[in-house]
Amino acid sequence: MVSKLGLLVAAVMFVAAPAFAAENYQTDIGPTPKNGRQGADVQGRGTVLATLDGNTFKIQGKFAGLSSVATKARLHMGNVMGGTGAAIGDLNIPQAQSGEISGSFTLTPAQVAGLKVGKLYVILDSQSAPKGNLWGWFQPAHVTVPEGVPQAENWYIPNLLDGQDDGASKKNNS
Amino acid sequence: MIRNTMRAFGAVVGLGAVAVAAIWASNAIAQGSTAPGPFTEAQAQAGQSLYASRCSGCHESGGETIRLLGPAFTQSWGKRSTRDLHARIKKTMPLTNPGSLTDAETASIVAYILKGNGAAAGAAAFTPATDVTISTVLPARRDAYAGYVSLSSMATATGLTFPGTVEKYTPVTEEMMLNPPPGDWLMHYQNYAGWSHSPLKQINAKNVQNLQLRWVWSMEDGERQQITPLVHDGVMFVSTVINNTVQALNAATGDLIWENRLGPRLENQVNATARAMALYGNQLFYPASDATMYALDARTGKVNWKFKISEYGRDKVGSVMIADGKLILGLGVCDEASLEDRCFIAAYDVKDGRQIWKFSTVAYTGEPGGDTWGDMANGERSGADAWIAGTYDPKLRLVYFGTGQAKAGKHGIGDKLFSNATIALDVDTGKLKWYHQSAPDEGLDLDEVYEKILVDNGSQKLLLSAGKPGILWKLDRTTGQFLDYVPMVFQNVFTSIDRKTGRATYRPDILKPEPGSSRSSCPAQSGGHNWPAASYVPEDDLIVYPLMQICVTSEGGMIGNYEAPGSDGNMGRLSAYRVKDLKPVWTLQQRAPFLTSAMTTAGGVGFIGDWDRTFRAFDVKTGKTLWKTRLGTTAAGFPTTFTVNGEQFVAVPTGYNGGSPQVRPSSMFAFERNRPMVGHAVYVFALPKAQ
Repeated sequence: MVSKLGLLVAAVMFVAAPAFAAENYQTDIGPTPKNGRQGADVQGRGTVLATLDGNTFKIQGKFAGLSSVATKARLHMGNVMGGTGAAIGDLNIPQAQSGEISGSFTLTPAQVAGLKVGKLYVILDSQSAPKGNLWGWFQPAHVTVPEGVPQAENWYIPNLLDGQDDGASKKNNS
Repeated sequence: MIRNTMRAFGAVVGLGAVAVAAIWASNAIAQGSTAPGPFTEAQAQAGQSLYASRCSGCHESGGETIRLLGPAFTQSWGKRSTRDLHARIKKTMPLTNPGSLTDAETASIVAYILKGNGAAAGAAAFTPATDVTISTVLPARRDAYAGYVSLSSMATATGLTFPGTVEKYTPVTEEMMLNPPPGDWLMHYQNYAGWSHSPLKQINAKNVQNLQLRWVWSMEDGERQQITPLVHDGVMFVSTVINNTVQALNAATGDLIWENRLGPRLENQVNATARAMALYGNQLFYPASDATMYALDARTGKVNWKFKISEYGRDKVGSVMIADGKLILGLGVCDEASLEDRCFIAAYDVKDGRQIWKFSTVAYTGEPGGDTWGDMANGERSGADAWIAGTYDPKLRLVYFGTGQAKAGKHGIGDKLFSNATIALDVDTGKLKWYHQSAPDEGLDLDEVYEKILVDNGSQKLLLSAGKPGILWKLDRTTGQFLDYVPMVFQNVFTSIDRKTGRATYRPDILKPEPGSSRSSCPAQSGGHNWPAASYVPEDDLIVYPLMQICVTSEGGMIGNYEAPGSDGNMGRLSAYRVKDLKPVWTLQQRAPFLTSAMTTAGGVGFIGDWDRTFRAFDVKTGKTLWKTRLGTTAAGFPTTFTVNGEQFVAVPTGYNGGSPQVRPSSMFAFERNRPMVGHAVYVFALPKAQ
């Protein structure tokens, strides 16, 4: 895994930023599904941060630890948070085993709505995993902490039941 | 994108399946001829790719489903007809979209399964009407399948292989079960209410960092290891299923007192495990892997009596319990061996094993709940396995069990009672008092079978429970009325939960998947919560849950797992909630999933172990790690604590094999982390002698 401390710093900076109209998002991109046989080809991890300002969605992130060079990265919208769907557009990446991810998109109203319920995700291909090496679904910016460090009370868990007018379902959402 | 990835996965699995089939085919040739199979070579070849894409993801993944290419298939289906096999597959498979296979596709899959188990192709094509006893077209059963040869060279002696006698043993009484001696761990969850909590406090938050290893007892490897080390009068009772070996150890020193290898030796994977034995009187009750219930003399290990719980060899009992002086158990894996096989919960007389009552968890036509299976024939109704030990309220005289999903039929035909439910039964009669289904008609293997924790909040008599969706449910245990819930991990299976009834509504595309589309769901079959049980801390009114954050994507039956959104790559989560109002109190995440139950004490300390061999103590009020150590392999099972001569000990089992909660993360850890595939054992810790 990439440095959790780095992730913490990034997340805290995000959360600590002045609250303007722009909305901040983040995702930790990890390996696509693997079954143990192809695992050597699906290695690596990254962190991607994003900002939605109106309908402009700007993405900036890093990845590292691939077992072969990255070949392509795209922004997609799935059918549900955690689900897959059609591509929205390409992201900029170096042809390398580590590097930065960036891109800017003008989202449609449906895509903006999708972002707010966690449907938008990044997927990065590599030579050894040309159909997907790393992926992750954008979440609202939130505080993260290193492995094994406890958080008290209102920690972050994505919750699709939030749409209900139901206090209980929000008990552990920050 | 994922579709293509999964096709690649399918190709690999397909090649593996071909290799297995090749081994079996060569064995068949070497062992002489049988009648030609009722299928053609072309059908078997067509079935190969179908099997790889639609079946192997579950059946060959090492999960909870039967392996169709291997001895387990022969055991389950050998005496039955090819027509039954075709009908079963056609109606119930693939699990993600039952009924989606055509007759021809099903016939091809049957042909491939038969060939994969050694049958030879013939001239006649297989049809849905083909009616041949399967064993007649398979070669004689081999003594050892190549994958298990190493096990066959191990010791196989059976019987009382190490005689001995416990010098001082007090018979366990109902009064002791109602008020367990603090220094004992008399039953699976320490008390009837399922708390997995000890009143001991010699080891506490201030001194736990001084814990030292006192002794280790290695156990036979092979099969699943998820045991609970029971302790009474300074004697620890442990078991392993590979030979159905039961042992009594001096709990202070780890010295063997007696050993009984009950047998039979397992020669293939049959998903056997014995999470919980039970103590009562002078007896120790052990559910063997061949569905034989043994009553041993706890003092000597000698068999007092035994009986077959089920006539179907593949049926299993994972846990047993005592309530009101009765031996009570639930049957699991009871859906494959025969169309007549039917899961149940039953009570037996501890004196002789006589059955006192029996409650079938699958409702048949004409019975209460029988109309919730649509027009499905009784013999085709399956699942609702009660594979986790129950809990007991002696004042209400109710025992509480959970059941797993229904394993047959399409979504939408009905609620399929009493699958995926919490069930309250009268301890005297076995009659149903109430049931609650949070997710009726469940078809994603998201069981709600797990521990039912009983807590009193003032005058409220509560039952706390969480299933694989990772939602903590609060019920009134007197009536079964739904009271409250809180999601503990990310889930995308349900879109809403009814505030009054607690009934969940499924995502539309789960109920009606579009043909050929991929489908992702969180949590995966490994569950947001699984058999590693939660613990209730009465001193702080906290309930501490081991949780897992893994998703699954499937396409045409092919399965792959990935990290849950928002988990930042952390598959393991441990969370504490206040029972009174389900308020979140603390949580922590880590890369490795937790694979023991949470065990807490009145000393303000909790204990838990994980896939990555770490066993840790944590502060129950904050979650802060107070002490940790590395073990030989994955910590797996139910930690316990006890005293001998006034000194407190903590025990934790290790084991590398254990169903989807181990299989799914293990595949995700490939080329990243590893653990030895040996090392079933019990580790025991204590404070330094000087303290």
